[in-house]
Amino acid sequence: MVERDRDRDTAATERTAAERAADHAALARSMDQLVPTLIEKLGTTGLAELEVREDSLRIRLRRPAGAPIAHDPRAADRATDRAHRTERSRGALGGSPSPHQPGMTPVGPGPGPGREPRESREVRTSDIGHGAIATSPAVGIYHPGPAARAGTRVRAGDRLGTVDMLGVPQEVVAPTDGVVGASLAEGGDAVEYGQELVVIEFVTAVPASATTSPAATTAPAATPPPASTEP
Amino acid sequence: MFRKILIANRGEIALRILRACRVLGIEAVVAYSEADRDSLAVQLADEAICIGPADAKRSYLSAPAVISAAMITGCDAIHPGYGFLSEDDGFAEVVAAHGLTFIGPPAGVLERFASKAGTRELFAGHGLPTIPGSEGMLRDEMHALGEAERIGYPVLIKPSAGGGGKGMRMVRTPRELEGVLRVCRSEAKAAFGDDSLYLEKWLDENRHVEIQVVVDKYGHGVHLGERDCSVQRRHQKIIEEAPTPALPPSSRTELAERAIKAAVAAGYENLGTLEFLVDASGAFYFIEINCRIQVEHPVTEMLTGIDMVATQIRIAAGEPLGFSQPDVTFTGHAIEFRINAEDPTNDFRPGAGVVERYHAPGGPGVRMDSHLYSGYDVPPFYDSLLGKLVVWGPDRTTAIARSRVALDELVVDGLATNIAIHQAMLLNETFLGGRMTTNLLDRVGSAAFLAAAART
Repeated sequence: MVERDRDRDTAATERTAAERAADHAALARSMDQLVPTLIEKLGTTGLAELEVREDSLRIRLRRPAGAPIAHDPRAADRATDRAHRTERSRGALGGSPSPHQPGMTPVGPGPGPGREPRESREVRTSDIGHGAIATSPAVGIYHPGPAARAGTRVRAGDRLGTVDMLGVPQEVVAPTDGVVGASLAEGGDAVEYGQELVVIEFVTAVPASATTSPAATTAPAATPPPASTEP
Repeated sequence: MFRKILIANRGEIALRILRACRVLGIEAVVAYSEADRDSLAVQLADEAICIGPADAKRSYLSAPAVISAAMITGCDAIHPGYGFLSEDDGFAEVVAAHGLTFIGPPAGVLERFASKAGTRELFAGHGLPTIPGSEGMLRDEMHALGEAERIGYPVLIKPSAGGGGKGMRMVRTPRELEGVLRVCRSEAKAAFGDDSLYLEKWLDENRHVEIQVVVDKYGHGVHLGERDCSVQRRHQKIIEEAPTPALPPSSRTELAERAIKAAVAAGYENLGTLEFLVDASGAFYFIEINCRIQVEHPVTEMLTGIDMVATQIRIAAGEPLGFSQPDVTFTGHAIEFRINAEDPTNDFRPGAGVVERYHAPGGPGVRMDSHLYSGYDVPPFYDSLLGKLVVWGPDRTTAIARSRVALDELVVDGLATNIAIHQAMLLNETFLGGRMTTNLLDRVGSAAFLAAAART
């Protein structure tokens, strides 16, 4: 997950609207370019956390608490393998005429238009600010509820949907306060215990302004220059 | 035949079942808990599906989780392995109700043999001598004392459910009985969720000999001979071998034939093991039946050449057994050593942690069934079995010689294991002479046993 914060914003009040606009643009570019690069880096190194500082802009990426933390690249590979196998499982399920799976057709409302393709890890993680992911409480068939629609404001503990385990619905709950982001599984999907289902983005106001240098967006992610504003 | 099987177990037996599926051309899905994400079975499976957290009650022991996993992966059968849900008739019934096949005895058969006291009566009615025991379950302390008096001390307190020595205590006096009854109840409750206890007459200097049977859906059954499981530590088997040195060939055949006859007559189906105690005079007493594949099944596989897990799957699918008693031949001698993550120098305290280096022995007649690999992190949540070293030789002497070499070659670095106790056993005159009884280790204590071996 991406976490942004400002080291200092004491000078904010003295800044002009134009400077603030430039900062926002810089932030936006950073989110578009720098952050995806960093996420990729984080994925390949297997680190749990990565932080880059550029002038007063500090970007820290941290894996979500609920997600499996890959301590080494092999583990990351295995995680990918499992994801593939789960896809195969879905394939098998789709072809199965078994009458014992009444939950195969999605019952909840479809995920919102903002839903990202679930295969795309980059999009999945970079598109959100910092947040947390609601995971499956059981092995079974996933049924998103109305609250799983992208854009819905939720409180920690709110019910996002259910996973039907042999006819007994198990609640999928929001792990944190926030706004529903991408859905990582569709209604009717076969899901395993602990599988990531719905992204909940933390609600944080974009800082009104600060001393962000546009240079931050062009800095090569892998080789951050010395942090000049290090406290 | 099945198209796809869900393996609802872990460790070496998950791997063993996976191998049988491969041989039969059946796809295998391994159901695993979060703690077993990096297990070898998960890595080698055609598919793997996480069914719950490390706590077995919410994963390997959760019938809904296991069955749901089988349904959503499109399996048509579930193999429960041993332990966990393997002898749970309620589970077998729900599996069948969902149109899946339970690989083991059908629910009705499991139910018939669920009560140990009831099973003793049933088999007594089919001509097997049984060990004297309490009438039904112990209601309270008064009832227990009365029954113990009637049977005669020493007696063994046993839980109705489960196995593996949990909740079991041998007592020699009423005072001892009063002292441990509550402990046994709480142990049984914790291990099996059932605190029913019963009493059995305890025979000092007894041998534990069991008969492997296999019966198909059509009532055609054969025995696959016996295994001697007399080397135990606190009622837990640690070495198993066949043939048993306790009985001459004619007695072995008689015991096996009576066992299979009784099993078929009592309506048993699938793989099963009838356990007997054999006293110093060679008289035998039926104690219980295990309605599952057992840890020590490779001993029988080494002697007969029969793939027992594949056979179990075939007959669960409704295939006829396909062979008869004269087709079963027993060649040579096999010994299995259970390699456990237990520290013999520290009262066999179970351990966990990273296996820094693992090397499996080889050579003629040597088989290692283990889920270990270098770098594997043994989780602390489950039983301590790391693997089984099974050694075959044309005779017992050769099997023992090969076992010594294999145990020396086996490397499991990073964890305390019980390998030293096996090496000590192979220096023990009583064991080498084939005269071991179930109290061999406990009588002298494992520490003294190891010390004695070190002096030789």
